[in-house]
Amino acid sequence: MINLGSYLIISFALFICGILVMVARKNIIAILLGIELILNASALNFVAYTKFMNNNLDGHIMSLFIIVTAAAEAAVGLGIVIRFFQLRESIHIDDAATLQN
Amino acid sequence: MDYTLSTVAPVVLLPFFAFVINAFIVKKFTKLAVAVSTGAIFVSFLYALRIFLDFLNVYSVGYNIHKTFTWFDLSTGSSIFKVNMGIYIDNMTSVMLLMVTGAATIIHIFSTWYMHDDPRFGRFFVYLSLFTSAMLGLVLSDNLLSVFIFWELMGFCSYSLIGFYYEKEGAGNASLKAFMTTRVGDVFFLLGILALWSVVGNVSFVDIYNAIGAGKFNNLYALGIPLATFAGFSIFMGTMGKSAQVPLQVWLPDAMWGPTPCSALIHAATMVAAGVYLSLRMYPLMELGHLLPFIAIIGAITAFGAATIALVQTDIKAVLAYSTISQLGYMVIGIGVGSYNASFMHLITHAVFKACLFLSAGSVIHSIHCQEMPQMGGLRKKLPYTFFAMLLCCFAIAGVPFFSGFVSKDRILGDALVMALAHPVYIPVALLGFAGAFLTAFYMFRMLFLTFFGEPRDHHIYEHAHHEHLGWNSNIPLLILSVFTLGLFYSGSFTGQGEVNLFGTKNEWFSTLIHRPDSNSLHHFAEYKSEEFGLVDTRDKVELPRAHFDESHGMSEKEAHHVHQIHKAGALASIFIAFMGIFLAYSMYVKRSIYPGWWTSTFSGWTRALKNKYYFDDLYVKKIIQGLLLPFNNLLAWFDMGIYDKYAVDGWEAVNRFAFNVSRWFDNNIIDSGMVDGTGASVNLMNAILRWIQSGKIQLYFVVLIVVLASYIWTIHI
Repeated sequence: MINLGSYLIISFALFICGILVMVARKNIIAILLGIELILNASALNFVAYTKFMNNNLDGHIMSLFIIVTAAAEAAVGLGIVIRFFQLRESIHIDDAATLQN
Repeated sequence: MDYTLSTVAPVVLLPFFAFVINAFIVKKFTKLAVAVSTGAIFVSFLYALRIFLDFLNVYSVGYNIHKTFTWFDLSTGSSIFKVNMGIYIDNMTSVMLLMVTGAATIIHIFSTWYMHDDPRFGRFFVYLSLFTSAMLGLVLSDNLLSVFIFWELMGFCSYSLIGFYYEKEGAGNASLKAFMTTRVGDVFFLLGILALWSVVGNVSFVDIYNAIGAGKFNNLYALGIPLATFAGFSIFMGTMGKSAQVPLQVWLPDAMWGPTPCSALIHAATMVAAGVYLSLRMYPLMELGHLLPFIAIIGAITAFGAATIALVQTDIKAVLAYSTISQLGYMVIGIGVGSYNASFMHLITHAVFKACLFLSAGSVIHSIHCQEMPQMGGLRKKLPYTFFAMLLCCFAIAGVPFFSGFVSKDRILGDALVMALAHPVYIPVALLGFAGAFLTAFYMFRMLFLTFFGEPRDHHIYEHAHHEHLGWNSNIPLLILSVFTLGLFYSGSFTGQGEVNLFGTKNEWFSTLIHRPDSNSLHHFAEYKSEEFGLVDTRDKVELPRAHFDESHGMSEKEAHHVHQIHKAGALASIFIAFMGIFLAYSMYVKRSIYPGWWTSTFSGWTRALKNKYYFDDLYVKKIIQGLLLPFNNLLAWFDMGIYDKYAVDGWEAVNRFAFNVSRWFDNNIIDSGMVDGTGASVNLMNAILRWIQSGKIQLYFVVLIVVLASYIWTIHI
């Protein structure tokens, strides 16, 4: 039986995976992937709530916005990563701690 | 003749301003400085001359000008403490002013010649100006306090001028000796001033006279002696120091290290006479304090002792120095035997002829660059003017009739003789006085003969004596002074006894002007005098019946006649004695019929004592300084080092060290370690925490963000 709870569980799992990837991985591209996961989790939430709670298209439109935003964010994020790699010859997140000290 | 403070003050202030100006310009404009000094003293002389002539013309016994102003006033309520300064000019002051300014003018002029090739030509005049102003200030002073101030100022100038050639060690030592020796007298003088202040409440001369007249000194004692005696003695000690009386005479011979004109001015004419002047001013006090016999004996010892020492001196200035001491002794005898007038007259006449003698000696020294008489001789032809001046002065000091020294000294000796016949205490005084007169005639002519007569003993020196260098400013002063050694300028008659009057008795200005402090204003004083010293100055009776020959003096006509006879006998005796002395010197040093060496070999012990100045210097150095003052000094040093330093100073150091340790511990441990370092440590701690939080690791921030957000949500949810 597929109901709202199942969607929310999937969405929660995706969200937790995204958080864990963001916190645990040291690769900046992996972190970007984690962010994608979190965005997708929230988009899934929007779609699920729209489908089961009210029958208009607000949630779908919002998910489309999220996808667009995610694409833009991935483009900007990858651009930053490329510049960072050119600067440091590394995409390790701890190399981006030069503001310390 | 309307004098105020501002019309009299220039007499003092002109030399003083000259001193102040010269002190600044002397290095660059030496010639100008000399001219300023000399000009200032000459204008002062003109002022003094005017004052003197006014006093002579408008004469009265008690006439005086007394102007005062308040120097400072510390009175509070009923206790009055007020110090007045002012001028007091009476007949004696006017004569003294004339003498001081006149002598100073002539000596200034002479110094322009004597000192002109000295590297410190200008500085000499600076000192001379300061000295002259101090002396004039002393003469014009109306109270003992300002007398004391000027007295010390003169002492300073004397010190500076004795040590004028300071590159010579002897000059420096001599100046110190002079300063320290007179200081002994000065301390007593100050004590006397304080004693008088305690009674009179003031030290003005007039007030002191009034206090004596009012009997304020009756039944007052200080340390068990009558206060008048105490004060009089203390003030006389000042005189002993300044006028070089035994036992404080040791400084004056050493003072001859100074330039000769300064010896003439300071150590012959004015400063040493200031002591006698002070005692004359304080004469009523001396008389009230029964001090006159003591004073007379001190004077007699000085007059005779110094004359004997002068016999063996070979330095021309040393002879003059001892003769100065001896003549000052005569003045003091004059005070002691009550011949006030004659003592003051001797002061004046001595100032003139001794200044002249010193200037003549200066001429000789400057011409031959030598002071030792055994190397001189025969200078009569080389230095005729100097010889002439010195001859007249020697006649004067020896007491040859018609010369000033005869008039004044003979009056003193006559009075001494009168007192000796009246009172046995005065017999040694008279004897020593006459013996000293004989020696004076001898040693002065010994000096004259050794210097100017006979064959030149050192041909090298004789050849180099350059009399042609003597200019007008060397000879004119000598000649002026030597003219004033004639007795008629002072007595108005040739003999001084009133027999051969040149201008008539009216012109005996000296006896007319100078009187003992008037008995009419000093009732008590007059009474006292009549019982203790019945015989008083007698000469005035003939010339001036109204002054001293009233019945209060207790002298009848018959007594006066008797006294006059004694005076005549004394005069004859002193003439005889003077010629004896001159004749002896003549036979010893010119005719050589008596061999001088015989005396020195026969009385070798005496000669040695004389050459050593009666061992006074040894006594002072060995016994008093080394025997008394040095142990005392050591005792004080021991106290200082052994007690004070060891316990008080070092003990204080221990206390300080302890306090230092305590405060150091507190500072190190509490302040530094606890508070200062603690502040730093706390900041460090906070820093470490913040550093740990702000690691710059984005993921950590993210975790924190999530935790915070989660906790918010959790909190809101609950």
